[in-house]
Amino acid sequence: MTTSASAAPVSPAEPAEHMIDVRGRRVRVAQAGEGAPLVYLHGAGDLGDWGPELSLLARDFTVYRPDHPGFNQSDDDPSVDSVLDLAFSYLDLFDCLGLDRPSLVGVSLGGWIAAQIAVLDPGRAAKLVLVGAAGLRADIPTPDMFTLGPEQLAELLFHRPDLRAAAVAAAGQITDDPELFQRYLRNRMASAHLAWNPYFHDPKLPGRLHRLAAPVLVVWGAQDRLLPVGYAHQWVAALGAARLEIIDEAGHLPMAEQPEAFATLVREFLSLEGPA
Amino acid sequence: MKIFGFHLMPYPDLPAEHLNSTDSSWVTLSNALFDPRHGHQLYSRYIGELVAYDRAGFDGLCVNEHHQTPYGLMPAPDVAAAVLVPQTSCQIAILGNALPLRDHPLRVAEEVAMLDVISGGRIISGFVRGIGAEYHTFGIDPATSRERFYEAHDLIVAAWTRPGPFEWYGKHYKFRYVNPWPRPLQQPHPPIWSPSQGSGETVDWAARNRYTYLQTYSDIGTVRRVFNEFRAATQKYGYPASPEQIGWAVPTFVADTDERAEAVALPALDTLFNRLMRMPKDVFFPAGYLAPASAARVLAGKQGLGSGNVDVRDLVERGYALIGSPDTVRQKFAAYQQELGFGVFCGIFQFGSLGHDHFTESLELFAQQVMPAIRGLGVPPEVPASTVTT
Repeated sequence: MTTSASAAPVSPAEPAEHMIDVRGRRVRVAQAGEGAPLVYLHGAGDLGDWGPELSLLARDFTVYRPDHPGFNQSDDDPSVDSVLDLAFSYLDLFDCLGLDRPSLVGVSLGGWIAAQIAVLDPGRAAKLVLVGAAGLRADIPTPDMFTLGPEQLAELLFHRPDLRAAAVAAAGQITDDPELFQRYLRNRMASAHLAWNPYFHDPKLPGRLHRLAAPVLVVWGAQDRLLPVGYAHQWVAALGAARLEIIDEAGHLPMAEQPEAFATLVREFLSLEGPA
Repeated sequence: MKIFGFHLMPYPDLPAEHLNSTDSSWVTLSNALFDPRHGHQLYSRYIGELVAYDRAGFDGLCVNEHHQTPYGLMPAPDVAAAVLVPQTSCQIAILGNALPLRDHPLRVAEEVAMLDVISGGRIISGFVRGIGAEYHTFGIDPATSRERFYEAHDLIVAAWTRPGPFEWYGKHYKFRYVNPWPRPLQQPHPPIWSPSQGSGETVDWAARNRYTYLQTYSDIGTVRRVFNEFRAATQKYGYPASPEQIGWAVPTFVADTDERAEAVALPALDTLFNRLMRMPKDVFFPAGYLAPASAARVLAGKQGLGSGNVDVRDLVERGYALIGSPDTVRQKFAAYQQELGFGVFCGIFQFGSLGHDHFTESLELFAQQVMPAIRGLGVPPEVPASTVTT
């Protein structure tokens, strides 16, 4: 789930980078913008870039983009074996950042983490945006990303031919950049630790989703081949009440393929008064 | 020289569409292609070939563990060893039980202890992590492989050596009662071997525990480097490695002439290395199976074992296999031994599609014309009588 390719119509504002000490371990957080707090939780293959969709959202929100413990430039945390462990770790990070009740925007693995945080402590999430979110099982076959190399994965992730070609080309050269390749391998290892078996879901999550109090927007790429759009309907059914937006001409990472449309949807949803 | 005969029990009789494809031979190759009646014949033949090592005067024979693949039909190496115990009188090396794949390592302690007692103390207990593909097979998080391996090993050795019952409270295994019956016959426990392709962590671990380190499937340059690392590691732990602690496992074929040896062996090696060992790199080395630094080195290479695209003649020249007339094999063996200093040899005399008649011919030539000449190599220096105290 590398996001090295994206449609980039905006020149991103340089985010400020902080290393936050969370109970003795460092978490890298990129931050930009002003307004209500929005925490962006990245996907399994995300290599730490500040995407154009974040710059768009930073016009209206204070956007925090942490690297999960064990990913990118955050330290390992040996106490993290599961997404539930990560959710506990995020509550600590929110305390460190002074975030009482941010909105959570989670992509893929990050969507699963966002839902887990909101279930664990329903008072800590104002609103939830789940984008191509992992975390649930549906009776719909998916490719096993753990059997795929970077180029095969890039091919599956993107829908738009221009972005797909760029992503596949970048993935083919990832071994040329030792620092980037190490980051890729480390993320891959951390993802395996969280999601090898059961594969990218928690069988107990559906039975706990009733605890979730925040309004939820489910966003999906219409042409997602990694987690087909049927999983979006699975989320909506499991949540009982959620808004669903399917973005056309986008695969597993709609925020990278259609950043304007994505940012507009998120901005509108988060700006609504009261429950959506 | 301790001479062992190794068998992988392959199932090479696959449709040409598969053999000539680039599809994986591991994890996902349908077992509908396995014909149980043919399997019965193969097992009968292969067990006979393992017994033939014993009849030929080898010190021992070796079985191993692999899963969901025609590369080898031995998912349960302790079962293979159990079949061989009553038919042989030599040592039986299980190379090895793949510890992290077990949810209950005490079963390994029990099975190996049973085999050791039944066989009268002829068991060598190899411990391995299992290859990457097997983490897909068993749904075990490969990022936990190494710590599960270490902890399972520690638990098994404790189960063999500490009077029970005792409690085991580890990270991965928590047992209120550890108290296996039987205990092994060999004391304090059966010899432990560590087969590996040369990861630095495994080399260091084997040296620290004074185990026998066995190098598998490597070019001679790698074998040399790894054996040197092993000797350096034993020095670091305060002792010199004995030749019996250093083993080399290699496909071996002897024929009357070099030309004939190549003509017979190369196609069979091609089946082994390019058809049966073939799998995607991300299945061979899944996420977290290797530490990121090692993974970077392995995954950056475009070729290599498992790619289905290796030149087997080149492999032979680089020492991945020991092929030739009795003269050639004797000379190569002596030169390798002198250079590398190993005292344990595990010859894989059946590999890939190699047929039974060729196996028998090669084994006889080896036993009669090679073995006598290499027996005296790699033997630890005699301790002068004057230093022996009684």
